[in-house]
Amino acid sequence: MTKLLEVANLTVGYGEAIAIDDISFSVARGEFVTFIGPNGAGKTTLLNNLMGVLQQTSGTVTFAGEDLKMLKPEARVARGIVIVPERRELFPGLSVEDHLRLGAFLRRHQGRAKMAAALERIYALLPKLKERRKQLAGTLSGGEQQMVAVGRALMAEPQLLMLDEPSTGLAPRITEEIFEAIDRLKAAGMTGILVEQNANLALSVAERGFVLEVGNVVASGEAEQLRQDPRVLAAYLGAGDRYREAMTDT
Amino acid sequence: MTDTVLFLLVDGLTSGLVYALLALSLVLVFTVTRVVNIAQGEYVMLGALTLADLLQGRMPGTLYLLIGGLVLCVILDAGRWRRDWRQALLYASGLVIAGVAALALTRGALALHLPVIGMMVVALILVAPLGALIYRFTVHPIPNATTIVFVIISVGVSMSVQGLGLLIWGANPYPVDPIAAGGVMMGPVFIPYQSFAILITALLAMGGLYLFSEFTLVGKALQASAMNRLGAQFCGIPVNAAGALAFLLAAAFSAVSGMLLAPLITANYEMGFMVGLKGFVGGAMGGLIDYPLSLVGVMIVGGLESTSAYVASAYRDVLVFSLLIPILLWRNTRSRVEAR
Ligand SMILES: Nc1ncnc2c1ncn2[C@@H]1O[C@H](COP(=O)(O)OP(=O)(O)OP(=O)(O)O)[C@@H](O)[C@H]1O
Ligand SMILES: [Mg+2]
Repeated sequence: MTKLLEVANLTVGYGEAIAIDDISFSVARGEFVTFIGPNGAGKTTLLNNLMGVLQQTSGTVTFAGEDLKMLKPEARVARGIVIVPERRELFPGLSVEDHLRLGAFLRRHQGRAKMAAALERIYALLPKLKERRKQLAGTLSGGEQQMVAVGRALMAEPQLLMLDEPSTGLAPRITEEIFEAIDRLKAAGMTGILVEQNANLALSVAERGFVLEVGNVVASGEAEQLRQDPRVLAAYLGAGDRYREAMTDT
Repeated sequence: MTDTVLFLLVDGLTSGLVYALLALSLVLVFTVTRVVNIAQGEYVMLGALTLADLLQGRMPGTLYLLIGGLVLCVILDAGRWRRDWRQALLYASGLVIAGVAALALTRGALALHLPVIGMMVVALILVAPLGALIYRFTVHPIPNATTIVFVIISVGVSMSVQGLGLLIWGANPYPVDPIAAGGVMMGPVFIPYQSFAILITALLAMGGLYLFSEFTLVGKALQASAMNRLGAQFCGIPVNAAGALAFLLAAAFSAVSGMLLAPLITANYEMGFMVGLKGFVGGAMGGLIDYPLSLVGVMIVGGLESTSAYVASAYRDVLVFSLLIPILLWRNTRSRVEAR
């Protein structure tokens, strides 16, 4: 398998405070991996570094054989690194369709026909966006906003799609809709990094997982295997109390 | 009495429109880059003096500013040669071509003795890029600086540009020809053709900006950068280029306003600051983010200015700047209501 993304000894911090502490991992083409971990573990920090809006203090990130260090965010988007950010980062005064078009900003020279076809693909994947396409993003519900963020990212034709907690604050039904869309993308061969608080959900989508705690990878492995890992069970699958009891008994 | 009122109305409307272009520039720059640009008025001066030079057959000093700026850009880009010399070479040759083109354009225009409108276009092409250059030198290196830092920097830019203006043009006032001399009697009041020119140009400029922002993807990208910088970056919008574009467009609007204003008051190196501040008072009405409210603001400024020139001319500027106090109080109560 060829590695699409390789991260080696990556350290990222805010001034003195280190948020990602010397981590290494890789993602193969066509693979979906997940990072799970508690609040403040450094998940968003990691993705922001991969997007190029936050510089690393040391370590290297290689994408399709190219060192990303000097590349600005727009150059990374051009190479297919695209994010659905945690806070969605929409433009409140612009319409849903404007967001989708702006997602394809770097491909604006490909012509109207391509743009229209790309829009139709997004509307087929996320039909709710079509109903709302003239509505301003600031007036959308949380779930609709999340769909706009996903649609906008897909318009960039990602090679590596990064999703930062796409289920946060959404009703189960909407979460399901979004994860169905993710499943379909995965089936079509999309490579991705999924960050989630909901470990069960994340491990049901991804093939491999990493458990991040205060900037360190404390566990990693196949999704199936991680689901059985007592540390994961304890911390993230809501079986914490039973696990602790079991430990004190022995 | 009605004559006087009508005259004041026309006069107020005319200056209001001139300030409107300024307010437009300030709002554009502030929304996209969060810079409160005290130096915005200097482009008024550069536009007016460049036009004066061109109309009197001299090489405008602005050309040297432009070429100097382009050279500085190449120097600042020196670090890139080692990393990626192809890109650096492309960039440097692009700037050299731009410089040569500007020189050729100016020479051609001088040789052809273009009419005033033609010379205005040439002056615009010389002044507008200075906005982008100043963005490159002052804002681009420190994108995350606080508002107050940018205010202080823009005061510095204002002083430096004024100093350069004094160096290039000296302290003398320069007469500038209007687009069309003369005027027309409309009922009891005489309206110079220049007032119509100001009206038409201001409307065209505002309409153009509106169409650009609403109906082109680049315009939407500019709006996006103004609404959410991080979100824009995640879309692959080069936010620095967006900032430079905002500065360039703003410089263009302000330069046009200077070229329209100069025939009414003669141009000199320190004319820009006052005009800039008055545009700012108008823009403050819209909190530097709201275009329609800013237009209301500049019309109030223009109206107050012409009436006070009539009843208490010595206090004209005092009255206009005092307007800032009620405007800020009003905005303050408004934002409190919104917060609730
Ligand atoms: N701009 C910032 N300045 C300083 N510290 C920051 C900044 N952003 C994040 N941090 C710190 O970095 C650490 C990691 O934060 P990060 O947002 O990456 O966590 P996370 O894993 O995404 O958490 P969550 O699940 O709550 O989103 C935290 O301790 C946080 O306080
Ligand atoms: Mg996070």
